[in-house]
Amino acid sequence: MVEIKLKLKKKPELPLEADIITPDNFVGKNVADIKKLELYYGKEVVKLGNFFDISGKSTDINDTKIIIDGDLSNVKRIGENMSGGEIIINGNVGMHVGSQMKGGKITVNGNADDWAGAMLQGGELEINGDAGHYVGAAYRGFWQGMKNGTIKVKGKVGNETLAWVNGSKPGKRFPKLICGSAGAFLGIHSHGGIIIVEGDCDRCAGADQVRGAIVVKGKVTKILPSYKKIGEVGEIELPNGEKLTGKFIEYSGDHSVDKNHSKIDKKTGEISKSSNGRLYIAA
Amino acid sequence: MVERKIKTVYDVVCPFCGTLCDDLEVDIDIKEDSVIEVRNGCQIGTKKFFSSNPSGHRYLKPRIKANGEHKEVSWDEALDAAADILVKAKRPLLYGFSSTECEAQSKGVELAEILGAILDNTASVCHGPSLLAIQDVGAPLSTLGEYKNRADLVIFWGSNPVHAHPRHLGRYSEFVRGYFRKDGRNDRFIIVVDPRNTHTAQIADLYIQVKPNEDYELINAIRATLRGVELDAKEVSGVSIEKIRELVDMLKLCNFGVIFFGMGLTQTLAHHRNIDAAICLTRELNDHTKFLLEPMRGHYNVTGANQVFTWNTGYAYSIDFSRGYPRYNPGEFSSVDLLIKDEVDSSLIVASDPASNFPAAAVKNLFKHPLISIEPHETPTSAFADVVLPAAFAGIECEGTAYRMDKVPLRLRKVKDAPGECLSDKEILEKLIYKVKEKLGE
Amino acid sequence: MSLNNLILLTGRTINQGVALEGGKTTKENVRAAAICAFDKDDFKKLDCLVGTPVKVITDHGEVVVYSTISEEGPHPGIIFIPMGPWANQLVNPDSQACGTPTYKGMKAKVEVMRSGRVLDALELMKQLRVA
Repeated sequence: MVEIKLKLKKKPELPLEADIITPDNFVGKNVADIKKLELYYGKEVVKLGNFFDISGKSTDINDTKIIIDGDLSNVKRIGENMSGGEIIINGNVGMHVGSQMKGGKITVNGNADDWAGAMLQGGELEINGDAGHYVGAAYRGFWQGMKNGTIKVKGKVGNETLAWVNGSKPGKRFPKLICGSAGAFLGIHSHGGIIIVEGDCDRCAGADQVRGAIVVKGKVTKILPSYKKIGEVGEIELPNGEKLTGKFIEYSGDHSVDKNHSKIDKKTGEISKSSNGRLYIAA
Repeated sequence: MVERKIKTVYDVVCPFCGTLCDDLEVDIDIKEDSVIEVRNGCQIGTKKFFSSNPSGHRYLKPRIKANGEHKEVSWDEALDAAADILVKAKRPLLYGFSSTECEAQSKGVELAEILGAILDNTASVCHGPSLLAIQDVGAPLSTLGEYKNRADLVIFWGSNPVHAHPRHLGRYSEFVRGYFRKDGRNDRFIIVVDPRNTHTAQIADLYIQVKPNEDYELINAIRATLRGVELDAKEVSGVSIEKIRELVDMLKLCNFGVIFFGMGLTQTLAHHRNIDAAICLTRELNDHTKFLLEPMRGHYNVTGANQVFTWNTGYAYSIDFSRGYPRYNPGEFSSVDLLIKDEVDSSLIVASDPASNFPAAAVKNLFKHPLISIEPHETPTSAFADVVLPAAFAGIECEGTAYRMDKVPLRLRKVKDAPGECLSDKEILEKLIYKVKEKLGE
Repeated sequence: MSLNNLILLTGRTINQGVALEGGKTTKENVRAAAICAFDKDDFKKLDCLVGTPVKVITDHGEVVVYSTISEEGPHPGIIFIPMGPWANQLVNPDSQACGTPTYKGMKAKVEVMRSGRVLDALELMKQLRVA
């Protein structure tokens, strides 16, 4: 892979809106042109070369690897809308990293701020530290958020992770998150999201979930009253066909939502095994 | 005997809380041009009218801070200093706007756009979460008149109107006779849900004590029970399952229910998700009967600020103009979050007192940078401002439009003139816009 | 004497509303907003007179206010401070990325003060500016 290297000269005092940093925007440009690319610093328009030392160039987007060094905790929107190639961030990164990404891969060797991977359409986002709130979530007012792609967070994710996530078996879209531990309201309003928590999870996991699966291998602070215990299972089949083994207690939910409640047989009270949401908690 | 010439102004709209009572009567001493008596207002509204009379707290001339002290200066000097601060700022914040009238709010939007600033109003720390929830799941709302005439089941959830909206109970929600509620209080069943047995709860028919920060689980349990689901738990958020089932039966059997909710839901953990659940519950209750809800807006014109900002920019609060067009994202562009990160490098505070109302960590950073305050009287914010621009009280000393909590617009009256050299918020902002444009070379 | 494992709520009171309209830098405002209301039985455990200054401590700060017995109880384990600059020394500024700080529900503990003054609003502000 051809590498384009960026090194942050000095940590910006104000947020730097760096949605210009994507393989799509760098491919086919020489270093001088990349340095002239414009971005916003507060309300001022500045050039990328003002903030970064830059070297390297590439001609094929799928062959492009952008490596960024420095404390980027105040640099927002890196990788926004990208469709291919790779970005590696060696440091903490600001809000909206990889938002609306369609393809390619972003690796953050540090912590990510809020809205990481928001509205993800495809591709892979890997965060080797902690992430903030609204990971893989929908932006305000959108009722369809992350549609496809995979997000992996080694550490903890904040609240409202994968809010309004929208997967689809017929459409073969399986938006997925794997994280070390999770905050509150994991997968709120989920429509077909797949979430695996390797550790513990805070309250209200699966709130308003219509369909999808949430697996918690650690403990949950409190399970929502609207979730019904089905029984113990030794193997889970996730919506994307993947199988997980281990002893889990299976819950069906969220039964406060109409679409799920219609899956309870009015006469027998039995819960249908079909498309409604599931929460699995390690036994 | 000295004869006092008095003029009485009728149908005065009270500029304090979101209830926006429109039946006040104010007596003015014509010679002194001061408020002598206020009838029909609550304690707080009445006090506000009296506080507009000249006193040690009222600003009469503009002030600039020099050597740590405020000194009185001319309007020209003060406006120049203020415009200077704003033009030099890299990330200015324009905040407040909830205690002034709509035309001033509109000027605020204009100024924010010219400066590429952050524009925010007090909804950010108050009912912002309600707006976030409405943006996600909609809301079945109506007007206060409809609730007064029809509601036979009234729920106050996380709201204490006896203290925060004193005349709400007497005008719209509890003690008033309505067209279909001719027996007033006796025709209504009042439920209060709150961690404390508030004064509102003490005069209600049913008080449900919920554990702090656990409202979401309770609403969730009510929604599931409403659907006929047998819950596995014996108790949710401190409320027994039997009580939840009783409550759900009451909700289903009423003719017309309404939930009034306040800071108990917006300012506790889960914030907008509490409101999200309450809205979904209300909507689901409409499968059984008629049910609506209403946010109990705090300031008399915060609803107006949301309306005006939305017409102009598409968004109600926490708006960023730095990239040349309005962008909206509470949490990223909201005042307290920006201040905590020390991202703001100067601020213009209009008709608001963030020093009293923001968490201390945010106030600390607010004071680190130049601060301009457009304010009628001394507050903890204006006392430390670098420039103070004395304003007239909107709704007392100048006319304008205000929006009630249920989005009904009412025209504020002018009952007396502003003292000293005070100007209306709208005039001050107009002059600031002129000066700023001059300095930017437009 | 001290009390631990309390939950702090903040909010409006009508007295605080009247006082703030009268002037937020007045003594009336101190009397209305620089107070902490305890549940009747919790207050007995503090073993002090009504009006004794108490220090309220949360993870986010501490402040000295006058103690009083709540008229809106019983609420064992809950203390209430009216909204204003005193309460705001204690509230959680974190909004969990939604924009609105968490003004209610902080874990708190309380110590009765042998000596110590309740500052007025301007003095509180001056402290913030120096820090």
